[in-house]
Amino acid sequence: MSAPSIPNLLSLRGASRGGGDRGGRGRSRGRGFGGPGRGAASGSASASALGHDAAIQGTDTDAAVSRLSAVELGYLQDPFASLFVQQAAMPPTRRLPIINRGTYTRTTAIDKVVERFLSQTDAPGQERQIISLGAGTDTRSLRLFSSSSSFQRIIYHEIDFPAICDRKFRTVRGSPQLRSVLSDPVVITPPPVAGAAAVENNNNNNNISINSWHSIQSSTPSGTGTCHLYCHGLDLRTLAQDQDNNQADPNSAATTSSSITIPNLRTHDDNIPTLLISECCLCYLSPHEASASIQWFASRIPHLGIVLYEPIKPDDPFGKMMVSNLAARGISMPTLEAYKQPADQEARLRQAGFNQTRQMTVDTIWDRWVSDEEKERVDGLEGLDEVEEWKLLAGHYIVTWGWRGGGFDLLDT
Amino acid sequence: MVVRKQKICGDIHGQFHDLMELFRVGGDVPDTNYLFMGDFVDRGFYSLESFLLLLCLKVRYPDRMTLIRGNHESRQITTVYGFYDECLRKYGSANVWRYCCDIFDYLALGAIVLGASNTLSPGNDPTTLPAEEDTEIEVCNADGHVMSRFRRQGGRINLIRETQTISPKGAPSSSPPVNGTSSSPSGSAPPAVGAPTNTGPPGSGASGSSGGSVGNPAGAVLCVHGGLSPLIDMVDKIRLLDRKQEVPHEGAMCDLLWSDPDEIDGWGLSPRGAGFLFGADIVKVFNHKNDLSLIARAHQLVMEGFKEMFDASIVTVWSAPNYCYRCGNVAALLELSEDDSGLGIFARSNGDVNRSDGGMGQGAPPRGVLMESDLARKGGGPARRYRVFQAAPQDSRGMPAKKPVADYFL
Repeated sequence: MSAPSIPNLLSLRGASRGGGDRGGRGRSRGRGFGGPGRGAASGSASASALGHDAAIQGTDTDAAVSRLSAVELGYLQDPFASLFVQQAAMPPTRRLPIINRGTYTRTTAIDKVVERFLSQTDAPGQERQIISLGAGTDTRSLRLFSSSSSFQRIIYHEIDFPAICDRKFRTVRGSPQLRSVLSDPVVITPPPVAGAAAVENNNNNNNISINSWHSIQSSTPSGTGTCHLYCHGLDLRTLAQDQDNNQADPNSAATTSSSITIPNLRTHDDNIPTLLISECCLCYLSPHEASASIQWFASRIPHLGIVLYEPIKPDDPFGKMMVSNLAARGISMPTLEAYKQPADQEARLRQAGFNQTRQMTVDTIWDRWVSDEEKERVDGLEGLDEVEEWKLLAGHYIVTWGWRGGGFDLLDT
Repeated sequence: MVVRKQKICGDIHGQFHDLMELFRVGGDVPDTNYLFMGDFVDRGFYSLESFLLLLCLKVRYPDRMTLIRGNHESRQITTVYGFYDECLRKYGSANVWRYCCDIFDYLALGAIVLGASNTLSPGNDPTTLPAEEDTEIEVCNADGHVMSRFRRQGGRINLIRETQTISPKGAPSSSPPVNGTSSSPSGSAPPAVGAPTNTGPPGSGASGSSGGSVGNPAGAVLCVHGGLSPLIDMVDKIRLLDRKQEVPHEGAMCDLLWSDPDEIDGWGLSPRGAGFLFGADIVKVFNHKNDLSLIARAHQLVMEGFKEMFDASIVTVWSAPNYCYRCGNVAALLELSEDDSGLGIFARSNGDVNRSDGGMGQGAPPRGVLMESDLARKGGGPARRYRVFQAAPQDSRGMPAKKPVADYFL
């Protein structure tokens, strides 16, 4: 519970008010599914499924509140965080130190993997892709594109519910402050419109249309080193379904016809290293859908790395309480039951074809990856006196990463 | 100083409904003496109600309630961990918080329980025979049913008989194990082979061995929120502290409220940023010098509710079940029986008069000296009954319980 929030019922679902209100900021947002494409699912699943989708989208707000809290208190540097917050009258919700430290640790851990990927692939003229699943209002792309970052030639794809994708579009378009980082966003696939000449889009047999928009890094001098941001409104379950269809019909796999095509996603390109990020996103899918989603990318992209952030250990007393508390909020994490232990997470990546895999729980990451000076700085912000609780809580979250193909190595533990 | 049968409780942390459950399990107040070892406020949603209830009981039954200060009974900590915000939310101003903090400054820093018996008084489990005389530890569930009992191991003999060794931990762990499971070594890192292995109840990590309980076998129990301080070698020195102030960032008063026992030798830096870590050697020397048979403290979450360490020379008691509505732990309170033999009650007033020879007036052997006869006869510390309980049902106790929402990293 957050300090001021006492019963912070506000962050439930989308209900906004009080703390819940910050429209969104940061991080882990979305969990990508749900959206439109999917109404089709099956008539039956509708009601409860929609409820679950809404609850999952609400976790984006929850994460956003946590992120804002960590930024406001100085744990994280993120000049863009506030841009995605619809400033409510209330002061920002302040999370407890244990939550702030966790937000800090998991964010910097993934940053570290991303930076490793970028520095390993930083050759002249070398483009590289990052694909963030359920990116929501995450600001990582903006931080990478900002002038304080020296990375270039990044093609950054974010995939989330269409509704969330649209909201981000409006935010980016409506924020003059962002013009120094991103160009005016441009819609590349108008919603239902017919086959606008746009790009080499989808619009195939499946009638699946992806609402995407595109923006260009505006801070670079010009030309060569420019980074691109693409946001795709796409339900990941659709992607999983597409992967299943392809597997059932190998002939059509890998060919374009029956597959979904994500605009401007570079596939079957040996020259483009790619990193796939799921920051608390795939865990909201069924294990099968999650694997199929990973496989969708893995079957198309040769040089691929992946980093996952998820909870683990649902079976001990803390884990049981976590599952129960989340269920009370309408949130379930189906993959948690399938990948209960750190070893399960690694095995899952190996099974997906990543021959190098690593994992660390968040408390271990804090111990090992955060330097002593940085620990001192962070601890000095608020003080954290709940050492046992920290180990317990942070020990139930894990960052797992893996890679395959040539070109780059991700980090060791 | 507190004499007589006591129920010793650890952190409450604003979990009012669970405090009610604690009273249900432990017994109603005028009939039962309670000693709360601090951390009444913060984290839970009902810090104010919890603290005010305890305070009211203290005012109404001053000799039956003992409240000592925890590190959360502090202006600075409560502004970060919830109590300040709760007061502001409930009253619209910080006045109530301010008044409470003023009261915090008057809370004692520690307490001594004298006269604890080496034998358990009858429990309230109708289905179980009364504990036998040599029962050292009894663990009961919330309904008073005995879950397990552990006998004294026969003093020094135990040292010889128990030959299984605990492999010493290589590096001192910077943090004590969260789970006091029976498999985790709970005794001190043994200085030599041949140390006793744990024989205590699962979850207590307790050792039935009395080999480490040097000091007064029927002696005093020191209750303090956190632990020891390198600046305090005698209990009397606690009395010399000017306690009527905000908890300082360092010094003896801070240490008493912040320190933790750990599997190290001597003193270590605390990961909490205040107080120290202290090892088994520190505890044993301190207990010996002060004629203590046991230190009871709180301050650290223990999944099983209680955890004995260092050959039962120190115990952590944790009384906030499902801490923060999230941790899934059970809670416990420690019940000490009154020694009706008279042996254990001596006029030791801890600093006033005759402190160090308190027992002699009664013809007891000099305290602080390890007597072979004591060990052979009784051994170990006072008999201890742990009552383990779980979080109160959501809708219990007639209070509108808002469904708490625990934060996770989503």
